[in-house]
Amino acid sequence: MVKTKISKSGEITAYSEVAFRNNNALIEFCRTSACALSGCTAGIMGLTGLQGFAFYFCAVLGLWCLLLLKAGPSWEKYFVNRIHLLTNGFFGGLFTYVLFWTFLFGMVHVY
Amino acid sequence: MSRNLYRNLTILGLLSLFHTAYSAAKHRSYLRLKEQENGTLPLDIILQAVISLIIAMIGIVNTSGEFKEISATKNLERKSWETLRNVPSFYVFNHRGKALSPFYEGGISN
Amino acid sequence: MAELLLDPQIRLWVFLPIVVISFLVGVVRHYVSLLIVSQKKSEITQVQDNQVLIRARMLRENGKYISKQGFYIRKHFFNHEETGYFKSQKRTTQPQNPMTDPTLMTEMLKGNITNVLPMIVIGGWINWMFSGFVTTKVPFPLTLRFKPMLQRGIELVSLDASWVSSASWYFLNIFGLRNVYSLVLGENNAAAEQDFAPGMMQLGGVGPTPPIDPKMAFKAEWEALEICHHDWALANVECDILGNQVVESSIQN
Repeated sequence: MVKTKISKSGEITAYSEVAFRNNNALIEFCRTSACALSGCTAGIMGLTGLQGFAFYFCAVLGLWCLLLLKAGPSWEKYFVNRIHLLTNGFFGGLFTYVLFWTFLFGMVHVY
Repeated sequence: MSRNLYRNLTILGLLSLFHTAYSAAKHRSYLRLKEQENGTLPLDIILQAVISLIIAMIGIVNTSGEFKEISATKNLERKSWETLRNVPSFYVFNHRGKALSPFYEGGISN
Repeated sequence: MAELLLDPQIRLWVFLPIVVISFLVGVVRHYVSLLIVSQKKSEITQVQDNQVLIRARMLRENGKYISKQGFYIRKHFFNHEETGYFKSQKRTTQPQNPMTDPTLMTEMLKGNITNVLPMIVIGGWINWMFSGFVTTKVPFPLTLRFKPMLQRGIELVSLDASWVSSASWYFLNIFGLRNVYSLVLGENNAAAEQDFAPGMMQLGGVGPTPPIDPKMAFKAEWEALEICHHDWALANVECDILGNQVVESSIQN
Protein backbone atom coordinates (compact mmCIF):
# COMPACT_ATOMS: atom_id res chain seq x y z
CA MET A 1 0.00 0.00 0.00
CA VAL A 2 2.82 2.37 0.77
CA LYS A 3 5.88 2.94 -1.31
CA THR A 4 8.89 4.77 -0.05
CA LYS A 5 11.53 6.66 -1.90
CA ILE A 6 14.68 8.21 -0.64
CA SER A 7 15.18 11.66 -2.07
CA LYS A 8 18.50 13.25 -2.85
CA SER A 9 18.72 14.97 0.47
CA GLY A 10 18.42 11.61 2.21
CA GLU A 11 14.87 12.20 3.29
CA ILE A 12 12.48 9.29 3.13
CA THR A 13 9.14 10.06 1.62
CA ALA A 14 6.26 7.65 1.76
CA TYR A 15 3.80 7.51 -1.08
CA SER A 16 0.37 6.02 -1.02
CA GLU A 17 0.15 3.36 -3.69
CA VAL A 18 -3.60 3.76 -4.18
CA ALA A 19 -3.39 7.46 -4.83
CA PHE A 20 -0.44 6.86 -7.08
CA ARG A 21 -2.32 4.38 -9.21
CA ASN A 22 -5.38 6.59 -9.30
CA ASN A 23 -3.33 9.47 -10.65
CA ASN A 24 -1.67 7.27 -13.22
CA ALA A 25 -4.98 5.90 -14.47
CA LEU A 26 -6.27 9.44 -14.74
CA ILE A 27 -3.29 10.57 -16.75
CA GLU A 28 -3.60 7.54 -18.98
CA PHE A 29 -7.23 8.41 -19.63
CA CYS A 30 -6.33 11.99 -20.52
CA ARG A 31 -3.48 10.87 -22.70
CA THR A 32 -5.48 8.39 -24.75
CA SER A 33 -8.29 10.88 -25.24
CA ALA A 34 -5.91 13.63 -26.19
CA CYS A 35 -4.13 11.36 -28.67
CA ALA A 36 -7.39 10.34 -30.27
CA LEU A 37 -8.65 13.92 -30.44
CA SER A 38 -5.46 15.37 -31.81
CA GLY A 39 -5.27 12.53 -34.32
CA CYS A 40 -8.76 13.45 -35.48
CA THR A 41 -7.79 17.08 -35.79
CA ALA A 42 -4.65 16.29 -37.72
CA GLY A 43 -6.65 14.11 -40.08
CA ILE A 44 -9.24 16.82 -40.61
CA MET A 45 -6.63 19.45 -41.31
CA GLY A 46 -5.02 17.08 -43.77
CA LEU A 47 -1.54 17.17 -42.33
CA THR A 48 0.87 14.83 -44.02
CA GLY A 49 4.26 13.48 -43.21
CA LEU A 50 6.39 15.31 -40.72
CA GLN A 51 3.79 18.00 -40.15
CA GLY A 52 1.56 15.42 -38.54
CA PHE A 53 4.24 14.16 -36.20
CA ALA A 54 5.13 17.71 -35.25
CA PHE A 55 1.47 18.25 -34.51
CA TYR A 56 1.48 15.19 -32.27
CA PHE A 57 4.39 16.62 -30.37
CA CYS A 58 2.57 19.91 -29.97
CA ALA A 59 -0.53 18.12 -28.74
CA VAL A 60 1.44 16.16 -26.15
CA LEU A 61 3.09 19.35 -24.97
CA GLY A 62 -0.28 21.02 -24.76
CA LEU A 63 -1.65 18.12 -22.76
CA TRP A 64 1.28 18.39 -20.42
CA CYS A 65 0.59 22.07 -19.89
CA LEU A 66 -3.07 21.38 -19.26
CA LEU A 67 -2.28 18.66 -16.74
CA LEU A 68 0.13 20.91 -14.90
CA LEU A 69 -2.45 23.67 -14.99
CA LYS A 70 -4.97 21.29 -13.50
CA ALA A 71 -2.58 20.17 -10.80
CA GLY A 72 -1.94 23.76 -9.90
CA PRO A 73 1.20 25.22 -8.40
CA SER A 74 1.61 22.42 -5.89
CA TRP A 75 2.12 19.63 -8.42
CA GLU A 76 4.56 17.92 -6.10
CA LYS A 77 1.64 16.76 -4.03
CA TYR A 78 0.37 14.68 -6.95
CA PHE A 79 3.34 13.53 -9.01
CA VAL A 80 6.81 12.41 -8.22
CA ASN A 81 8.29 13.70 -11.41
CA ARG A 82 7.09 16.35 -13.81
CA ILE A 83 9.09 15.15 -16.76
CA HIS A 84 7.75 11.62 -16.51
CA LEU A 85 4.33 13.12 -16.96
CA LEU A 86 5.44 14.28 -20.37
CA THR A 87 7.40 11.27 -21.52
CA ASN A 88 5.44 8.32 -20.14
CA GLY A 89 3.48 6.52 -22.81
CA PHE A 90 4.72 8.80 -25.55
CA PHE A 91 5.04 6.05 -28.12
CA GLY A 92 2.00 4.11 -26.97
CA GLY A 93 -0.01 7.26 -27.58
CA LEU A 94 1.61 7.70 -30.95
CA PHE A 95 -0.03 4.53 -32.19
CA THR A 96 -3.48 5.73 -31.23
CA TYR A 97 -2.70 9.07 -32.78
CA VAL A 98 -1.61 7.53 -36.08
CA LEU A 99 -4.70 5.36 -36.24
CA PHE A 100 -7.08 8.26 -35.76
CA TRP A 101 -5.03 10.45 -38.02
CA THR A 102 -5.23 7.86 -40.80
CA PHE A 103 -8.91 7.30 -40.14
CA LEU A 104 -9.97 10.92 -40.38
CA PHE A 105 -7.54 11.61 -43.19
CA GLY A 106 -9.11 8.78 -45.11
CA MET A 107 -12.61 9.93 -44.33
CA VAL A 108 -12.05 13.56 -45.25
CA HIS A 109 -9.29 13.82 -47.77
CA VAL A 110 -8.79 10.59 -49.67
CA TYR A 111 -12.22 10.16 -51.14
CA MET B 1 -21.50 22.02 -11.15
CA SER B 2 -18.22 22.92 -12.79
CA ARG B 3 -17.76 19.30 -13.74
CA ASN B 4 -21.02 19.50 -15.66
CA LEU B 5 -19.76 22.61 -17.38
CA TYR B 6 -16.60 20.83 -18.46
CA ARG B 7 -18.55 17.86 -19.74
CA ASN B 8 -20.64 20.19 -21.85
CA LEU B 9 -17.43 21.77 -23.04
CA THR B 10 -16.15 18.36 -24.14
CA ILE B 11 -19.34 17.61 -26.01
CA LEU B 12 -19.25 21.03 -27.63
CA GLY B 13 -15.67 20.49 -28.73
CA LEU B 14 -16.46 17.07 -30.18
CA LEU B 15 -19.48 18.38 -32.06
CA SER B 16 -17.47 21.27 -33.40
CA LEU B 17 -14.74 18.87 -34.47
CA PHE B 18 -17.32 16.76 -36.24
CA HIS B 19 -18.68 19.81 -38.00
CA THR B 20 -15.16 20.74 -39.04
CA ALA B 21 -14.65 17.29 -40.49
CA TYR B 22 -17.87 17.65 -42.46
CA SER B 23 -16.99 21.05 -43.84
CA ALA B 24 -13.48 19.90 -44.69
CA ALA B 25 -14.88 16.93 -46.59
CA LYS B 26 -17.29 19.24 -48.41
CA HIS B 27 -14.52 21.61 -49.27
CA ARG B 28 -12.45 18.73 -50.56
CA SER B 29 -15.21 17.57 -52.87
CA TYR B 30 -15.74 21.16 -54.00
CA LEU B 31 -12.08 21.43 -54.87
CA ARG B 32 -12.33 18.20 -56.76
CA LEU B 33 -15.31 19.49 -58.73
CA LYS B 34 -13.28 22.51 -59.69
CA GLU B 35 -10.51 20.10 -60.73
CA GLN B 36 -8.10 21.96 -58.57
CA GLU B 37 -6.46 19.04 -56.89
CA ASN B 38 -3.88 20.28 -54.44
CA GLY B 39 -5.60 23.17 -52.79
CA THR B 40 -5.23 23.68 -49.07
CA LEU B 41 -8.06 24.10 -46.65
CA PRO B 42 -9.28 27.63 -45.95
CA LEU B 43 -8.07 29.24 -42.78
CA ASP B 44 -11.39 29.24 -40.98
CA ILE B 45 -11.69 25.45 -41.11
CA ILE B 46 -8.19 24.98 -39.75
CA LEU B 47 -8.85 27.53 -37.03
CA GLN B 48 -12.09 25.85 -36.10
CA ALA B 49 -10.35 22.49 -35.93
CA VAL B 50 -7.60 23.75 -33.65
CA ILE B 51 -9.95 25.70 -31.40
CA SER B 52 -12.36 22.82 -31.02
CA LEU B 53 -9.44 20.51 -30.25
CA ILE B 54 -8.30 22.85 -27.51
CA ILE B 55 -11.82 23.14 -26.11
CA ALA B 56 -12.30 19.38 -26.11
CA MET B 57 -8.93 18.77 -24.50
CA ILE B 58 -9.63 21.27 -21.74
CA GLY B 59 -12.97 19.60 -21.18
CA ILE B 60 -11.49 16.09 -21.12
CA VAL B 61 -8.68 16.96 -18.77
CA ASN B 62 -11.05 18.58 -16.33
CA THR B 63 -13.78 15.96 -16.47
CA SER B 64 -11.42 13.09 -15.86
CA GLY B 65 -11.50 13.47 -12.09
CA GLU B 66 -9.42 14.84 -9.32
CA PHE B 67 -5.85 13.96 -8.54
CA LYS B 68 -5.23 12.37 -5.20
CA GLU B 69 -2.36 13.45 -3.08
CA ILE B 70 0.27 10.77 -3.20
CA SER B 71 1.84 11.53 0.12
CA ALA B 72 0.96 8.66 2.44
CA THR B 73 0.81 10.78 5.53
CA LYS B 74 -1.77 13.08 4.02
CA ASN B 75 -4.69 10.88 4.97
CA LEU B 76 -3.44 10.40 8.48
CA GLU B 77 -2.85 14.06 9.12
CA ARG B 78 -6.48 14.90 9.14
CA LYS B 79 -7.39 12.33 11.78
CA SER B 80 -7.60 13.35 15.37
CA TRP B 81 -6.19 11.46 18.28
CA GLU B 82 -9.69 10.44 19.32
CA THR B 83 -10.27 8.68 16.00
CA LEU B 84 -7.01 6.83 16.10
CA ARG B 85 -7.33 5.76 19.71
CA ASN B 86 -10.78 4.38 19.18
CA VAL B 87 -10.27 0.64 18.89
CA PRO B 88 -13.58 -1.20 19.03
CA SER B 89 -11.92 -4.55 19.62
CA PHE B 90 -10.86 -3.43 23.05
CA TYR B 91 -14.25 -2.26 24.23
CA VAL B 92 -15.10 -3.93 27.51
CA PHE B 93 -18.60 -3.86 28.84
CA ASN B 94 -18.21 -6.45 31.50
CA HIS B 95 -16.75 -4.31 34.22
CA ARG B 96 -17.59 -3.44 37.80
CA GLY B 97 -19.79 -0.55 36.82
CA LYS B 98 -22.62 -3.01 36.38
CA ALA B 99 -22.82 -3.35 40.15
CA LEU B 100 -24.19 0.19 40.25
CA SER B 101 -27.23 -0.79 38.26
CA PRO B 102 -30.47 -0.98 40.26
CA PHE B 103 -31.33 -4.18 38.43
CA TYR B 104 -28.05 -5.88 39.14
CA GLU B 105 -28.76 -9.27 40.62
CA GLY B 106 -25.61 -11.27 40.42
CA GLY B 107 -23.61 -11.56 43.57
CA ILE B 108 -20.39 -13.28 44.29
CA SER B 109 -21.89 -16.49 43.08
CA ASN B 110 -22.15 -15.06 39.58
CA MET C 1 2.66 10.87 -56.12
CA ALA C 2 -0.07 9.81 -58.45
CA GLU C 3 -3.42 10.65 -56.90
CA LEU C 4 -5.86 7.83 -56.89
CA LEU C 5 -9.52 8.64 -57.03
CA LEU C 6 -11.54 6.28 -54.88
CA ASP C 7 -15.25 5.81 -55.05
CA PRO C 8 -16.98 7.48 -52.07
CA GLN C 9 -19.15 4.38 -51.81
CA ILE C 10 -16.07 2.50 -50.65
CA ARG C 11 -15.82 4.91 -47.76
CA LEU C 12 -19.39 4.30 -46.74
CA TRP C 13 -19.56 0.54 -47.27
CA VAL C 14 -16.02 -0.68 -46.64
CA PHE C 15 -13.89 1.81 -44.77
CA LEU C 16 -16.34 2.80 -42.08
CA PRO C 17 -17.82 -0.67 -41.47
CA ILE C 18 -14.38 -2.13 -40.83
CA VAL C 19 -13.71 0.41 -38.11
CA VAL C 20 -17.09 -0.15 -36.53
CA ILE C 21 -16.82 -3.93 -36.74
CA SER C 22 -13.38 -4.15 -35.27
CA PHE C 23 -14.34 -1.84 -32.45
CA LEU C 24 -17.56 -3.65 -31.65
CA VAL C 25 -15.86 -7.04 -31.80
CA GLY C 26 -13.50 -5.88 -29.08
CA VAL C 27 -16.36 -4.68 -26.93
CA VAL C 28 -18.34 -7.88 -27.41
CA ARG C 29 -15.30 -9.96 -26.64
CA HIS C 30 -14.81 -8.06 -23.43
CA TYR C 31 -18.31 -8.82 -22.26
CA VAL C 32 -18.25 -12.44 -23.42
CA SER C 33 -15.07 -13.09 -21.52
CA LEU C 34 -16.67 -11.46 -18.49
CA LEU C 35 -19.53 -13.90 -18.88
CA ILE C 36 -17.61 -17.11 -19.23
CA VAL C 37 -14.64 -16.44 -17.04
CA SER C 38 -14.83 -18.35 -13.82
CA GLN C 39 -13.64 -17.12 -10.50
CA LYS C 40 -10.62 -19.03 -9.43
CA LYS C 41 -11.52 -21.02 -6.38
CA SER C 42 -8.76 -21.67 -3.93
CA GLU C 43 -8.84 -24.64 -1.67
CA ILE C 44 -8.63 -24.15 2.04
CA THR C 45 -5.62 -26.39 2.53
CA GLN C 46 -3.75 -24.48 -0.14
CA VAL C 47 -4.43 -21.15 1.50
CA GLN C 48 -3.46 -22.61 4.84
CA ASP C 49 -0.19 -23.94 3.47
CA ASN C 50 0.66 -20.61 1.94
CA GLN C 51 0.00 -18.78 5.16
CA VAL C 52 2.09 -21.25 7.12
CA LEU C 53 4.96 -20.85 4.71
CA ILE C 54 4.75 -17.09 5.02
CA ARG C 55 4.75 -17.35 8.79
CA ALA C 56 7.79 -19.61 8.76
CA ARG C 57 9.65 -17.19 6.56
CA MET C 58 8.78 -14.29 8.81
CA LEU C 59 10.06 -16.26 11.77
CA ARG C 60 13.33 -16.91 10.01
CA GLU C 61 13.81 -13.31 9.09
CA ASN C 62 12.53 -11.52 12.14
CA GLY C 63 13.02 -14.16 14.82
CA LYS C 64 15.90 -12.27 16.34
CA TYR C 65 13.54 -9.67 17.69
CA ILE C 66 11.54 -12.00 19.92
CA SER C 67 12.74 -13.70 23.00
CA LYS C 68 14.57 -16.98 22.85
CA GLN C 69 11.68 -18.87 24.34
CA GLY C 70 9.23 -17.34 21.93
CA PHE C 71 11.44 -18.21 19.00
CA TYR C 72 11.86 -21.82 19.99
CA ILE C 73 8.16 -22.28 20.72
CA ARG C 74 7.39 -21.11 17.21
CA LYS C 75 10.13 -23.18 15.70
CA HIS C 76 8.89 -26.16 17.59
CA PHE C 77 5.43 -25.61 16.16
CA PHE C 78 6.81 -25.84 12.64
CA ASN C 79 9.69 -28.24 12.93
CA HIS C 80 9.10 -30.73 15.72
CA GLU C 81 9.87 -34.26 14.59
CA GLU C 82 6.41 -35.67 15.38
CA THR C 83 4.01 -32.82 15.93
CA GLY C 84 5.55 -30.04 13.88
CA TYR C 85 3.44 -28.64 11.09
CA PHE C 86 5.92 -29.36 8.35
CA LYS C 87 6.42 -32.91 9.54
CA SER C 88 2.89 -33.94 10.40
CA GLN C 89 1.08 -32.53 7.39
CA LYS C 90 1.26 -34.89 4.49
CA ARG C 91 0.51 -33.28 1.20
CA THR C 92 0.29 -35.18 -1.99
CA THR C 93 2.03 -33.86 -5.03
CA GLN C 94 -0.28 -31.93 -7.30
CA PRO C 95 -0.47 -33.06 -10.90
CA GLN C 96 1.91 -30.88 -12.82
CA ASN C 97 0.82 -31.64 -16.33
CA PRO C 98 -1.91 -29.20 -17.39
CA MET C 99 -3.29 -31.73 -19.83
CA THR C 100 -4.31 -34.01 -17.00
CA ASP C 101 -5.89 -31.25 -14.97
CA PRO C 102 -9.38 -30.61 -16.32
CA THR C 103 -9.79 -27.15 -14.79
CA LEU C 104 -6.66 -25.93 -16.48
CA MET C 105 -7.89 -27.38 -19.73
CA THR C 106 -11.18 -25.50 -19.55
CA GLU C 107 -9.40 -22.29 -18.65
CA MET C 108 -7.21 -22.64 -21.70
CA LEU C 109 -10.16 -23.48 -23.86
CA LYS C 110 -11.99 -20.39 -22.66
CA GLY C 111 -8.98 -18.25 -23.40
CA ASN C 112 -8.86 -19.66 -26.88
CA ILE C 113 -12.56 -19.14 -27.43
CA THR C 114 -12.45 -15.49 -26.49
CA ASN C 115 -9.14 -14.64 -28.11
CA VAL C 116 -8.20 -16.81 -31.00
CA LEU C 117 -11.53 -17.88 -32.39
CA PRO C 118 -12.94 -14.37 -33.02
CA MET C 119 -9.63 -13.38 -34.57
CA ILE C 120 -9.80 -16.18 -37.07
CA VAL C 121 -13.51 -15.98 -37.74
CA ILE C 122 -13.86 -12.22 -38.01
CA GLY C 123 -10.57 -11.88 -39.82
CA GLY C 124 -11.61 -14.50 -42.35
CA TRP C 125 -15.01 -12.93 -42.72
CA ILE C 126 -13.53 -9.47 -43.29
CA ASN C 127 -11.15 -10.95 -45.80
CA TRP C 128 -13.96 -12.61 -47.67
CA MET C 129 -16.48 -9.80 -47.41
CA PHE C 130 -14.29 -6.79 -48.10
CA SER C 131 -11.57 -8.38 -50.17
CA GLY C 132 -9.57 -6.46 -52.68
CA PHE C 133 -10.44 -2.87 -51.88
CA VAL C 134 -7.94 -0.07 -51.64
CA THR C 135 -9.47 1.68 -48.69
CA THR C 136 -7.29 4.50 -47.55
CA LYS C 137 -3.93 6.12 -47.57
CA VAL C 138 -1.70 6.72 -44.59
CA PRO C 139 -0.83 10.41 -44.48
CA PHE C 140 2.90 9.86 -44.35
CA PRO C 141 5.30 8.31 -46.84
CA LEU C 142 6.44 4.76 -46.22
CA THR C 143 9.15 2.66 -47.70
CA LEU C 144 8.51 -0.32 -49.91
CA ARG C 145 9.12 -2.72 -47.06
CA PHE C 146 5.71 -1.86 -45.68
CA LYS C 147 3.97 -2.90 -48.87
CA PRO C 148 3.24 -6.50 -47.95
CA MET C 149 2.11 -5.39 -44.51
CA LEU C 150 -0.25 -2.65 -45.62
CA GLN C 151 -1.45 -4.08 -48.91
CA ARG C 152 -2.50 -7.56 -48.05
CA GLY C 153 -4.91 -8.85 -50.62
CA ILE C 154 -4.00 -6.55 -53.50
CA GLU C 155 -0.91 -7.34 -55.45
CA LEU C 156 -0.19 -4.20 -57.41
CA VAL C 157 3.45 -3.54 -58.02
CA SER C 158 3.13 0.07 -59.06
CA LEU C 159 0.91 1.14 -56.19
CA ASP C 160 2.50 3.51 -53.73
CA ALA C 161 3.33 1.92 -50.39
CA SER C 162 1.22 4.31 -48.36
CA TRP C 163 -2.06 2.96 -49.70
CA VAL C 164 -3.80 0.54 -47.40
CA SER C 165 -5.93 -2.41 -48.40
CA SER C 166 -9.07 -3.42 -46.58
CA ALA C 167 -7.67 -6.48 -44.81
CA SER C 168 -4.68 -4.53 -43.58
CA TRP C 169 -6.92 -1.71 -42.44
CA TYR C 170 -8.72 -4.23 -40.25
CA PHE C 171 -5.47 -5.37 -38.67
CA LEU C 172 -4.33 -1.79 -38.15
CA ASN C 173 -7.57 -1.15 -36.34
CA ILE C 174 -7.19 -4.14 -34.08
CA PHE C 175 -3.72 -3.09 -33.06
CA GLY C 176 -4.46 0.57 -32.69
CA LEU C 177 -7.75 0.36 -30.86
CA ARG C 178 -6.19 -1.32 -27.85
CA ASN C 179 -5.73 1.95 -26.02
CA VAL C 180 -9.22 3.01 -26.91
CA TYR C 181 -10.63 -0.14 -25.32
CA SER C 182 -9.00 0.73 -22.06
CA LEU C 183 -10.54 4.15 -22.43
CA VAL C 184 -14.03 2.87 -23.09
CA LEU C 185 -14.17 -0.32 -21.05
CA GLY C 186 -11.96 0.65 -18.17
CA GLU C 187 -8.65 -0.75 -17.11
CA ASN C 188 -7.81 -4.44 -17.15
CA ASN C 189 -10.37 -5.35 -19.76
CA ALA C 190 -10.18 -8.52 -21.75
CA ALA C 191 -10.21 -6.85 -25.14
CA ALA C 192 -6.95 -5.01 -24.61
CA GLU C 193 -4.88 -7.94 -23.53
CA GLN C 194 -5.20 -10.01 -26.61
CA ASP C 195 -2.36 -12.09 -27.77
CA PHE C 196 -1.69 -12.39 -31.45
CA ALA C 197 0.35 -15.54 -31.47
CA PRO C 198 -2.09 -18.45 -31.41
CA GLY C 199 0.75 -20.96 -31.28
CA MET C 200 2.14 -19.43 -28.13
CA MET C 201 -1.32 -19.26 -26.71
CA GLN C 202 -1.75 -22.98 -26.40
CA LEU C 203 1.58 -23.47 -24.72
CA GLY C 204 1.26 -21.13 -21.85
CA GLY C 205 0.25 -17.81 -20.54
CA VAL C 206 -3.47 -18.32 -20.61
CA GLY C 207 -4.09 -20.75 -17.84
CA PRO C 208 -3.35 -19.83 -14.25
CA THR C 209 0.09 -20.69 -13.06
CA PRO C 210 0.09 -24.17 -11.59
CA PRO C 211 0.21 -24.12 -7.79
CA ILE C 212 3.55 -24.77 -6.22
CA ASP C 213 4.08 -28.22 -4.91
CA PRO C 214 3.45 -27.96 -1.17
CA LYS C 215 5.54 -30.99 -0.35
CA MET C 216 8.68 -29.54 -1.85
CA ALA C 217 7.99 -26.12 -0.36
CA PHE C 218 7.51 -27.65 3.07
CA LYS C 219 10.73 -29.54 2.81
CA ALA C 220 12.70 -26.49 1.73
CA GLU C 221 11.19 -24.34 4.44
CA TRP C 222 11.81 -27.05 7.03
CA GLU C 223 15.46 -27.21 6.09
CA ALA C 224 15.85 -23.47 6.14
CA LEU C 225 14.22 -23.20 9.51
CA GLU C 226 16.24 -26.09 10.89
CA ILE C 227 19.54 -24.36 10.31
CA CYS C 228 18.21 -21.08 11.63
CA HIS C 229 19.22 -20.36 15.19
CA HIS C 230 18.12 -17.75 17.60
CA ASP C 231 20.35 -14.76 17.53
CA TRP C 232 19.01 -12.32 20.05
CA ALA C 233 19.29 -8.91 18.46
CA LEU C 234 18.10 -6.96 21.45
CA ALA C 235 20.70 -8.19 23.92
CA ASN C 236 22.19 -4.79 24.53
CA VAL C 237 19.04 -2.86 24.06
CA GLU C 238 19.14 -1.23 27.49
CA CYS C 239 22.54 0.22 26.82
CA ASP C 240 21.56 1.37 23.35
CA ILE C 241 18.45 3.12 24.45
CA LEU C 242 19.42 4.54 27.83
CA GLY C 243 23.02 5.28 27.02
CA ASN C 244 25.94 3.58 28.64
CA GLN C 245 26.28 5.86 31.63
CA VAL C 246 22.87 5.25 33.10
CA VAL C 247 23.29 1.52 32.94
CA GLU C 248 26.76 1.61 34.37
CA SER C 249 25.69 3.81 37.21
CA SER C 250 22.79 1.53 38.00
CA ILE C 251 25.12 -1.44 38.01
CA GLN C 252 27.42 0.34 40.40
CA ASN C 253 24.59 1.08 42.72
